[in-house]
Amino acid sequence: MTESLGIELDSVCKSYGTQVVLDRAAASIAPGEFVAVVGRSGSGKSTLLKLIGGLMSPDSGSIRHGPHELARMSETELTLFRRRELGFVFQFFNLVPTLTACENVQLPLALNSMARPKALERASTLLEQLGLSGCADRLPDELSGGEQQRVAIARALAHEPSLVITDEPTGNLDLETAGEVLDLLIESCRNHAATLIVATHSRDAAARADRILRIVNGRLEPIA
Amino acid sequence: MKLRLLALSSLRFYRRHPWQLLLAVAGIALGVAVFLGIERANDSARRAFDASSTAAREQTTHRLLPVAGLMPESHYVALKRDRRYVDSAPVLEVPVTLSRAGGPPVDVTLEGVDLIEETTVRGPRGAIAGGDPARLLTEPGAILADDTIAALFEVSAGETLTLRAGGETHEVTVIGTIADAAGSPRLVADIATVQELGGLPGSLSRIDLRLDPTAAAALADALPAGTVLVPAAAEDQALRQLTRAFNINLTALGLLALVVGMFLIYSTISFTIVQRWRSIAVLRAIGLDRRELLAKLLGEALVIGIAGTLLGLVLGRLLSAGLLELVLRTLDDLYFRRALGAAEPSGLLYLLSAALGIGATLVSALIPAVLASRREITSSTRSRLERGARTLARRFALAAVPTAVVAVVIVRLSESGLWPAFVALFLVLVAGAMLVPLATHVLMRRLERPVARLAGLPGRMAVRGVTDSLSRTGVAMAALVVAVATVISIALMIASFRASLIEWIDTTVTADLYVDIDPGWAGEIEPALAAIEGLPDVDGLSRMRLARITTANGELSLRAQMPGPEGYGVDVVEPASAAAETLLAGDDTLLMAEPLAYRLGLRAGDALELPTVGGLRAFAVAGVYRDYNTAGAELTMALQTYRRAFGDDALTSIGVHVAPGADERGLAAAIRDELGPERPTRIRSTSFIREVSLEIFDQTFRVTEVLRLLAGIVAFLGILSALMALGLEREREFAVLRSLGMSVRQLFAQNLAQTSLLGLAAGIAAIPLGSALAWLLVHVINRRSFGWSMDFVVSIDAMLAGVGMAIAAAALAGIYPALVGARADMGLAWRDD
Repeated sequence: MTESLGIELDSVCKSYGTQVVLDRAAASIAPGEFVAVVGRSGSGKSTLLKLIGGLMSPDSGSIRHGPHELARMSETELTLFRRRELGFVFQFFNLVPTLTACENVQLPLALNSMARPKALERASTLLEQLGLSGCADRLPDELSGGEQQRVAIARALAHEPSLVITDEPTGNLDLETAGEVLDLLIESCRNHAATLIVATHSRDAAARADRILRIVNGRLEPIA
Repeated sequence: MKLRLLALSSLRFYRRHPWQLLLAVAGIALGVAVFLGIERANDSARRAFDASSTAAREQTTHRLLPVAGLMPESHYVALKRDRRYVDSAPVLEVPVTLSRAGGPPVDVTLEGVDLIEETTVRGPRGAIAGGDPARLLTEPGAILADDTIAALFEVSAGETLTLRAGGETHEVTVIGTIADAAGSPRLVADIATVQELGGLPGSLSRIDLRLDPTAAAALADALPAGTVLVPAAAEDQALRQLTRAFNINLTALGLLALVVGMFLIYSTISFTIVQRWRSIAVLRAIGLDRRELLAKLLGEALVIGIAGTLLGLVLGRLLSAGLLELVLRTLDDLYFRRALGAAEPSGLLYLLSAALGIGATLVSALIPAVLASRREITSSTRSRLERGARTLARRFALAAVPTAVVAVVIVRLSESGLWPAFVALFLVLVAGAMLVPLATHVLMRRLERPVARLAGLPGRMAVRGVTDSLSRTGVAMAALVVAVATVISIALMIASFRASLIEWIDTTVTADLYVDIDPGWAGEIEPALAAIEGLPDVDGLSRMRLARITTANGELSLRAQMPGPEGYGVDVVEPASAAAETLLAGDDTLLMAEPLAYRLGLRAGDALELPTVGGLRAFAVAGVYRDYNTAGAELTMALQTYRRAFGDDALTSIGVHVAPGADERGLAAAIRDELGPERPTRIRSTSFIREVSLEIFDQTFRVTEVLRLLAGIVAFLGILSALMALGLEREREFAVLRSLGMSVRQLFAQNLAQTSLLGLAAGIAAIPLGSALAWLLVHVINRRSFGWSMDFVVSIDAMLAGVGMAIAAAALAGIYPALVGARADMGLAWRDD
């Protein structure tokens, strides 16, 4: 298991053309903390997650994961960083359609060069923990939305990342399933001592976070 | 309003995907361009041939020809006395060699004509530049040179040329030049001058006549001894058949390019439907009926077809210039041995090409458009689509069997005829294409485990990516397989042909040296030949007389031979394993070359009538032999039989069988000594003949190389189009993989591995299909085109080269989409479609 890293955002700015999305945004997230990011549609939640995940670069300001300053990392270093330290759960699940549920979970392990038998064992265990052992050999489009999202959670946690980033993980699910999936996600991250950042519109989801950050006019404001 | 909105939606879709539009337009444009290019070249060559033969005949209706050798001038004098045959002109053609400083000698024809009769019988010869033709009559050694010779030797009126004729060297004066209207490069002189220069006083090659049917019938009933009367057009028939076969072969290749283009259109339209299925389903859900959807999709295809066709017409015009050069050179070298020039092809070809281009586009678009209009609105999930594609693949595979059976039935039922053979060839091609999607699926299933073992999960993803995108890649794969199978089949056919040709040359060219003998040396040459035979380095001699015999089937070439120690040197194919020596031992027997036997529908045991000095006589066709030389002997008989029948004891060449280890150069010098300085001659070694034959062979297939390349480009565009579209569709998947930590290089390698697997599958599938096509080309198409039989050679090199080409085409086509995919915007993982 990788030791969780604290995250520091300092004066982060990001614009799309003339539209300013983040304006000197700043925040500190402690290792193992569960943080919910809320805000109106188009307020910059997804942009913030992409910046924290190293999927895009800020126009100015810095983002640090422990000792790692993302802006100073090369493309290859960023790729390796994501591969080892990060797990993603997307709103639209985004499982690889040509791989079975079990193979999707094995994918980050394979990318981290884990031997196949060990990866298979780890993926099977995770799927079992998430109540998906019967679905291991099914392709994504043979699974329900809830099942797909649970596979996505298993995939995000398979390589025991220090940080899990999720964007509206329950936005595409019915209320009952959404609750179950969120429980699983929070519990799994806690079990793995991973930091969890969730962008969400859901009050219920936000309410369960250790801390809530709201994006207003490009700035991050804590909600007490 | 509705139409406008539908058109706008189509327009905006293609504006968002310009490369897809571009590739579809390029596919059909290339197909049309190749077809038009070939047809223009064909048509131009056909017209040049017609113009050439008409110019050669001009107003001549008949020709009186000697049965063998030359005829006495007295025949002409006798004809002129009869008022019915007054429109007649004597001709004497003598092969001469022009020598020049610093260059090799050039063989040309010296044509002797009667200037006064010329215009009456053959019409005006055309403009003569630089001199008064009357000088041909009054000045000894005066000649006219055609433009080719004038340019080659850089001579103008008043200058001299050195030529060798009748074993002697002469200086002649060029008094003017004439246009290259017909035939091989030639000099024209008064007939008396030619008789003198050629050492052939009182001899004629032929008499050209302008006869009405009554006069022709009367002359046919009372022919001078040793002559035969033939319609002037008859001699063109065999050539016309050969060139027609050549033209049909080229046209078929052009149509093939168009068929590959059709696959491309089919693939593009299918792909755009898959891509837009959600919006199409929405349109259907809000009330667009099936017919309107069909009209929308076909309307798009029509616009693409028109744009592609227009571009194809422009490209085709440019392409035809290059192709024409190749086609004319091949026809000229192999068949006509006349200087053919280009002729402006028919404008109707543009209309035909345009109709084919637009028609092919609409036909190709019809199937996916109809399928889309019939599809259930809710069937939009990917797995359903892929399941549907797999079901379709199975149905296509089932339909391939009866398609192939129909092809076999067509070949069996049509004993001759080239078009049925090509229809069968195309049906086999279509049957093969129909099997491709299922074969790909099965092959990938087999490959999955070993690839996963080697390359892990990314490898498994690469393999599954192929099978799981069958609805998108199936048709492009089929197009690639068709193109690669065509390339393999042509390569196999050429390899078979080349191997058979080499074997044939080895069988046919039995002697080590060939010595040209001037027919004028007849009789007096025997003591010299006996002396050559007695040389210590000579194992034996073969004697040959080549003659042209005019028959009811046109003019045929005959080789009369007294074989040397290694026999006649003919490869008898019928009766099987019979020896030529045994077959030709009897009186009045001959052997017939395969192409002639096929053309005349004759077999061993049949008879052929030839005009001999004693009148028409039936010769038994004792056997049929393989012959790939279009200008070679169509008939072979024993020299004694020939001399008895035709009363001609001249020789054309001798074959010298050299003792092992002897010095050929030294022997050639000794042969020249034995012949004496008064009989200069040309001596060729076997290696030279083999070299020239293979050079001509390679020249023949240069046209197919160009066409193979073009077909390959069209297929490459097809697979590129599919891969680009597939890459676009999978952008989000790539973004997810990048987010999960897959590096740009890993993703690029995975994408490239996937496209290479597509290429590998196409290459493997193309081997059996290419072999089946090659079998048809070797045993059916070539047989029906040229009458040639050959042994089928399984060339592993050709097959591997085909697989290599498929992998290279797919990998090359995959580079750009792989790069684009590998650099996918990772933010896409956050968005829905």
